[in-house]
Amino acid sequence: MKNTEFNRRDVLKTAVAGATLALTGAPAVHAQQKSIRFLNAEPGRESVRVLRVAAAEYEKQTGIKVIIDTVPPDDAFSKTQASIAAGTPYDISTLAFAGHVLLLAEAGKLVPITKLVSKYQWGPRILFPIKGENYWYPYDYNFCWMYYRKDLYKQKGLKVPTTWDQMQENAKILTGDGKFGVSLPLGANAATQWMSLGNMWAEGVSMLDDNFKLILDNAQMKPKVIAYLEYMKKLSPSMPQGMTQALFGTVLGQYSGGQIAHAPYAGRLMEVLEDKAPALVADTGFFMYPDSAGKAQAVNHGYDGWVILNTPMRDESVKFMEWFTDRHYINFLHSAPLHFQPPRMDIYDDPRWRAHPLIEKHADLVAFMKSLLTRNDVIIKSIDTEGPTIDLRPPKMFETFAICDALQNVMIKGMPAPEALEIMSAKYRTVLG
Amino acid sequence: MKSFRTSSDKWLLAAFVACIAFTLILILVPVLHAMHLSLFKSESFVSESKWVGLANYVQVLSEPAFWRAFGIGIVFALLTIALQLVLGIACALLLDQPFFGRPVIRGLAILPYLLPTVVVAVAFQWLLDGSLGLLTIWSEQIGIGRPAWFENPLIAMGVVVVASVWTWTPFVTVSFLAALQTVPKSLYEAARVDCAGPWARFWHITIPMLTPMLVVIILLRSIWMFNKFDIIWLLTKGGPLGATEHLPIMAYRRAFAQYDVGGGAAVATLSFAVLSILIIVYFHFYPLEEKDQRT
Amino acid sequence: MKKSLAARAAIMVAAVLLGLWSFFPIYWMIVSSLRPEKELFGQPELFPRNIDWNFTSYRNLLELTDYPLQFANSICVALVVVLITLVVSVIIAYVVTRFRIPGKTAMIGSMLYAYMFPPLLLAIPLLSIFAKIGFADHLIAVVLAHCTLSIPLGVWMLWGFFKVMPFDLEEAAMVDGCSRAGAFVRVVLPLSLPGIVTVSIFSFLLSWTDYVFSFILVNSDANKTLPVGLASILGSFDARWGELMAGATLITLPLFILFMFLSKYFIKGLAAGAVKG
Repeated sequence: MKNTEFNRRDVLKTAVAGATLALTGAPAVHAQQKSIRFLNAEPGRESVRVLRVAAAEYEKQTGIKVIIDTVPPDDAFSKTQASIAAGTPYDISTLAFAGHVLLLAEAGKLVPITKLVSKYQWGPRILFPIKGENYWYPYDYNFCWMYYRKDLYKQKGLKVPTTWDQMQENAKILTGDGKFGVSLPLGANAATQWMSLGNMWAEGVSMLDDNFKLILDNAQMKPKVIAYLEYMKKLSPSMPQGMTQALFGTVLGQYSGGQIAHAPYAGRLMEVLEDKAPALVADTGFFMYPDSAGKAQAVNHGYDGWVILNTPMRDESVKFMEWFTDRHYINFLHSAPLHFQPPRMDIYDDPRWRAHPLIEKHADLVAFMKSLLTRNDVIIKSIDTEGPTIDLRPPKMFETFAICDALQNVMIKGMPAPEALEIMSAKYRTVLG
Repeated sequence: MKSFRTSSDKWLLAAFVACIAFTLILILVPVLHAMHLSLFKSESFVSESKWVGLANYVQVLSEPAFWRAFGIGIVFALLTIALQLVLGIACALLLDQPFFGRPVIRGLAILPYLLPTVVVAVAFQWLLDGSLGLLTIWSEQIGIGRPAWFENPLIAMGVVVVASVWTWTPFVTVSFLAALQTVPKSLYEAARVDCAGPWARFWHITIPMLTPMLVVIILLRSIWMFNKFDIIWLLTKGGPLGATEHLPIMAYRRAFAQYDVGGGAAVATLSFAVLSILIIVYFHFYPLEEKDQRT
Repeated sequence: MKKSLAARAAIMVAAVLLGLWSFFPIYWMIVSSLRPEKELFGQPELFPRNIDWNFTSYRNLLELTDYPLQFANSICVALVVVLITLVVSVIIAYVVTRFRIPGKTAMIGSMLYAYMFPPLLLAIPLLSIFAKIGFADHLIAVVLAHCTLSIPLGVWMLWGFFKVMPFDLEEAAMVDGCSRAGAFVRVVLPLSLPGIVTVSIFSFLLSWTDYVFSFILVNSDANKTLPVGLASILGSFDARWGELMAGATLITLPLFILFMFLSKYFIKGLAAGAVKG
C-alpha cells in the first residue's frame, strides 16, 4: 500500500508538470525563421495597423518576420532597457526623449544610421547628433501651442492675445456658468512640462547656459521667471479645479466637451475634434504662446523617433528601416495626420502626404505648423533639450519636475514666487552636479 | 514535531526540498541582484556602472526627502492596516451571521479585491474628478464646496488611504471569515450557557482561537501596505509635492526616471531592511517553532 | 437562539451598507461607461436615462485590442498559477508544521522578500534568468513570476490553518492504517478546505491582476495578458473618460462573471471546514 501511495503522488506531480507544459506550450525552440523585434510606442489603432500591414508586406517580400510589440509611450524606455539588461533586446525601438537616445548610444547599444538620415533634409532641433553620428530617426514633431474657440471670441468681441494681460483678460471673460477660460495641467508630470511652460519660453527664459550651468535665478532670468509664475497665478481663477490630476487626455476631453475656451495641445486636438466633436472644428483657431510684452512667441518642443539597437539582427534591422522609411513613412504619418508633424522637410511638398483629407481640409493649420519650422522668430524649447548640445543633465532636470512643484507652490499654496524659484533652482542644482 | 521516519515521509521531504528550492531560487536571485545594484552608480540598466560601495546609502540617508518618505510610508501603512483590520474583522463577523441575501452581500463584499489596481485608480479618479466627479458635485451640493481632493496634502493622503482600504479590506474579511469556520460551534454554545455576552465570546473564544491566522494576516498586510506602490502611484504619483511619496515610489522614481539606478536600489534595500526588522520582531513574539501543544 | 428584532434589523442595515460601500464605485464606473460621451459632461445621473446602446466606447476599445486572445492568456496563466501554488504551498506548509526542519524560520521568512521590493526591480533580473533558460517572451515565464508572488502567500496562509489543527486526528487515522498521505487527504484536507479555497482565490487574483511581470516578461502582442493589453489603451494620449470606464469594465467583467458562477463553490468551501463539535 505504501508503494502505491507515493506512486500516486509522483504521478500527480508529473501530471501537473505535464499539464503546465501542455497548457503553456513547450519552452521556446528558437525559431528557424529570422525575425526582427520592433517596439512601438504609438498605441493608436491606426498606427498599429500601419505597422502590422508593413510588417506583413515585408515578410512576404523578404521572408523576415517583423514582430511588433506595442506599449504605452511612458513605458517604452523601461521596456527597452529591461530587454537589453536581460539579454533579449529589441532590434528596433521607439524613444521620445533625446536623453534616452544619448544614454543608449553612449552605452554602445545603438547602431549609427547617419546614412539613412542624411538622405533627407530635416527641420530644426530634431536631429540629435552624437559625436557627429545620427542614431535616431525622428518621425514627428509634437509642438504644443494654444487652441481657442473662435465663436466665443466673436461673441465677446475678443482678439487673439499677443500679451499676457490680453490672454488673462480673454480667459477671465470666458470663465463663468460652469465653463472655464483655460486649462493648464499642474501635476508633477510630463503633461505639465509640455503644456504649461510655453509662456515662460516666450518670455525668453533659458534654464542653462552653454556650460550647463543653471541660470534660472541669475539677474537676467530671475525677474522673467517670477513674472511667469505670477502670471500663472493670475490665470488660476480661470482654470477648472483638479488640474494637478490633469493629463494629456484630460485637456482634450475638456475642450471637446465644451468645458474650456482655450486648450494647449498639438495636432491631435484637431483630430479628436473631427472624430468626437465635429461641430467644434470650424470654431477652433490657434496661436502660439505669447510673452508679456507682445514681442515674442513660443511653442513647447516635443518629438518621437526610432532607434536601431545593436543586436545580431542589426544589418537586417537597418535594411528594414530603410525600406520602411521609404515606403511606409507617409502611411505612418497619416495614422495621426495632424499630430505627427513631419520632421522631414521633403514630406511637406510630397503630394502623397498632402493628399490626406484631413491635411487638405486643415491646410491653414498645416501651414501654421510648417511655419514653426521655417520662421526664425519662433522660440522652440523644452526642458529636456536645454543646453548647447544633447546631454543627460537636462533630462535629469526634466525628471525632477521641479517647475511643477514651483507652479503648485505658487498657485495652490500661495507661496511667493521668489521663494518658489529658490526651491526650484536648488532642486535643479542637485542634479546638475 | 516529528522527524522523518517512514519512507513515504522521505518522499515528502524530497518534495519539500524541491518546492523550497524552486521558490527560494526564484525569489532570492532577483532580490540579491537588486541589492547588488545598490552598490554601484549607474544611469540606467544598460549604462556603465561604477562601484561606489556604500556611497549610495550615505547619500540617500542624508537626504531629508528620504526620511520624509519613510515617515509617510509608516503613516500610510499604519492607517491602512488598522482600518483594514477593524473593518475586515467587523465585516467577517457580520457575514458569519445568517441573514436574508447573505450570499449576495458576501459576493459584493469581495468585489473590490477582484479589481486590478489600475481599475480602482480609474474608478476613484472618476469619482473625484475636479469638475465632473460625482463626489465633487455632491460636496458642492451639500455646501462644503469642491474639496481639493488631490491638491491638499492631507486630503490626498486620505484619498489614497480610503482607496487602499476599499480595495484590500476584503482580504482580511475573507481570511478571517474562513478562519472563523474552524472554530468549533460547541465552544460558543458552552460560553452561551455560561451567560457570556457576544463581546465576551468574541474576546475570549474567537480571538484566541484565531490568533495564528490574525498574526499571519497582520504580518502580510503590514508588508504589503508598507510596500504598496501601484495605488499611490496611479492616484497621485507621490504628489502633491511629495505628500504621498513613500519609499517604494521614491525607489521607483530614482531608478527608472531619474537616471539613478544605484540610488533607487539603495532606497529599495533600505525599505526592505525596515521590513526585515519587522519580521524579526514578529518571529520573536510569534515564532514558527512552538512548544508542542496537545489539546 | 433567536436574535432580537433590533439585532436583526441592525444586521440587515449593516449588510446593506457593506453592499453599497463595496459596489457603488464599480456601479458608477459601469454606468458611466454606458452613457453617451457628451452626457458625461452634463449632470450626473445615478440612474441614467440615456444609455448608449451602440456601446461606442466599448467598440472603440475592442478595435484596439485582441481582447479574446488576451483574456485567454490571462485565464490560462492564472489557472496554472493556482495549480502550482496549491501544490507547492500545501507541501511546504504541511511539512513545516509537522516536522522538525533546521532553519525553517529563515526559509519561510525569506519567502516574504518577494513582497518587499518594488516588483519592477525584481522583474528585470527574472527576465535575465528566464532568457538564459529560454523562456523569455513565453507565458510560462509569467506563470513562474506570478508564483513568486502567490507561493509565499499560500505558504503563510496554510501555515495558519495547519498549525491549529491538532496532530491527534492524523495520528489516529495513521494508527488506523492510513499512510501519511492518506491521513492528509482524509483528515487534514477537508478541515483546511477554507484555507485551500482562500489560497486559490488569492492566487488567481494575484495572477489575473498583475501588470508589472506580465509587462516585462512578454514581448509580443500575441502573448499579452489582459491588464497589459488594456493598459496600452488606458495609457494612450487620447483616452477619455468614456473609453477609460469601458476599459476598466472590460477588465473586470469577466472576473465578475467567473465569480458569480463559482461563488457558490467558494462559499461552500469556506463553510466546509466548520467542525461539528
